[in-house]
Amino acid sequence: MPLKPKVIWIDAIGCNGCSHSFFNLPYLSTLLEKIELLYHPLLDSNEFKIQECDILIVEGAIKNTKKFDSNLIDIIESLFINAKKVIGLGSCASFGGMFGEGLIFNKENYGKFYTCKNKVINLPGCPIHPEWLGYTLEMLIENKPIILDDENRPKEIYSFVSHSGCVRNEYFDWKVDAEDFGTKEGCLFYLQGCQGPFTHSTCNKILWNDVNSKPRAGTPCFGCTERNFPKINLFKTDTMMGIPSKIPLGVTKRAYLTLAGIAKSLTNERLEKRLFEYEKTNNKN
Amino acid sequence: MKKLITKIEGEATLNIIGDEIIEWVDIEFHQFRGIENYLIDKHYMDALVINPRICGICGHSHLIATAQAIENAFGAIITNKAKLIRELTLNFEIIENHIKWFYITLFPTQIKDKKYLFKALQASQKISQAIALIAGQYPHNSYAIPGGITSDITYLELTKVKNIIYQLLEFKQELWSDFELFFTKIPKNIGKSNNRFLTKNLDISKIKEISNNPYQKVTYNGLYYETGPLSRMKEYIKEIYQKYQDSIYSRIYARVYEIFYLLNKNLEIISKIDLSENSYIKPNITSNKGYSIIEAPRGVLIHEIEILNEKIKYYNIIVPTQFNLSTGSKDNPSAAQQALLNENKKYLDTIFKCFDICAVCIGH
Repeated sequence: MPLKPKVIWIDAIGCNGCSHSFFNLPYLSTLLEKIELLYHPLLDSNEFKIQECDILIVEGAIKNTKKFDSNLIDIIESLFINAKKVIGLGSCASFGGMFGEGLIFNKENYGKFYTCKNKVINLPGCPIHPEWLGYTLEMLIENKPIILDDENRPKEIYSFVSHSGCVRNEYFDWKVDAEDFGTKEGCLFYLQGCQGPFTHSTCNKILWNDVNSKPRAGTPCFGCTERNFPKINLFKTDTMMGIPSKIPLGVTKRAYLTLAGIAKSLTNERLEKRLFEYEKTNNKN
Repeated sequence: MKKLITKIEGEATLNIIGDEIIEWVDIEFHQFRGIENYLIDKHYMDALVINPRICGICGHSHLIATAQAIENAFGAIITNKAKLIRELTLNFEIIENHIKWFYITLFPTQIKDKKYLFKALQASQKISQAIALIAGQYPHNSYAIPGGITSDITYLELTKVKNIIYQLLEFKQELWSDFELFFTKIPKNIGKSNNRFLTKNLDISKIKEISNNPYQKVTYNGLYYETGPLSRMKEYIKEIYQKYQDSIYSRIYARVYEIFYLLNKNLEIISKIDLSENSYIKPNITSNKGYSIIEAPRGVLIHEIEILNEKIKYYNIIVPTQFNLSTGSKDNPSAAQQALLNENKKYLDTIFKCFDICAVCIGH
């Protein structure tokens, strides 16, 4: 990489959510000083043109549709060929997401640019966590090697699961399920569809907006970094004969069920009831 | 002449007639995703995850509209606590949107300096954090569900949120002086429109969608209306409105005004929240039709749903940009068209963008 890499950020079919998420990166201003941003869909930049760049960031899915005065696929292809490194930003560019196709992978097969997969780094997530892109860009700028997994995702991010660091882990360990929404107590894995135990991400490790995560706020993890996102019935746990059909990564179903059964039989009294409750206030002003 | 407009959460092409002065303009949007079709046959709860992905900047509004439309179909009730907390996070999205729009979208049409971007981000990151404290993350959370909210917040979160508001209020003087700076570069009295306004207190039967491939134009009672901050804040900024009518000055003034209006409103909301109430009341699921009308950052947002055996049979979304940016006729131009008519082309970018356009929303 040159001292100040040239970066093109192109928006394909999507919602700009990854751009807006990236705007939450605390060190964005210093990072932007280290690159030459030739084009960005929201930030002030020169007029778009096809040109060479060191890092191409593709946000959104690919689809045969109009873009500028041309075709989206043609534009991506021309940029792709002329880029040294390509970042597939978000689940749309990584796997197709809801709206189209991914760069090197689709939900079930390979993407259009699979043969050039060596220059692609995938950062799935809907949206991406700002730190994921911040880290990737810094590594590229500093010419440091990024270790990738077989879906071209940086291992430093995607070796973890969303479950790691969740404040509801105690409830998971002692097999205390949230019966319903709207409580700070209970694990969302068994009934509410939480995919945290098998979704690759650092959401609960580094937290969103530095403060929280969906499962901490009582919302199940929807597995938005995974290739099949979005699955159907996102608020329900898929089961087979009453048992979750997908279990925590790395254990056998039998091992998981044995452990869960033992945990369930050894009651943790503290976790079986509300942690505390507020008394009714007369705060009607 | 064709002119491509970028940095509006997507792009639009303007087909302009007139050399120096704009005699007529047609507005064309390119992206289309077909979210409404994508929702068909999905479980109604899945809409709470899919719909925020309509838009990266106002996805939270789509979430709230989705939850309310389903609640309307079920006849579900929610606690006052859940209602107030939803209002709180929705207001934060409006505030964040306006600050980003002001510095990132509007400012560069006249003043190009990176420092304004960083000003916006300093504020917007704090607002995102305030939403995340309550809703888990921002953007793209799904904490509002039929029957209430998923989170069970404590005073720890509310205290943090309140202090973020205090920090943002300190920004007031600076923002208003940047507003004045902007208007040293461009006249105030340009971009006057139809002087017809729409807020969420409307009669839904008077709304008509007219196909204009790939998106739909929207009239109210046969006419095009303006929706958004000026419609909402008109009554609060009477003097400005009387003097400048629906010019770019009033339109931009209303947006800046609304930032601080809503920050104070949010302090008031926080003081009313009774945390002893339930966050969620399980609704009775029925097969029925429902709709919601809410105020999103850019104005009136409508969601309509039909649920049959827990699955979505029909879904329709009308976004504010459809109201403001339709392509009407010479006798009946849309708000943005009228605002551009008879104006000098050199002001085109600013006048067009003062409507705060959301191209991804229109391409839903």
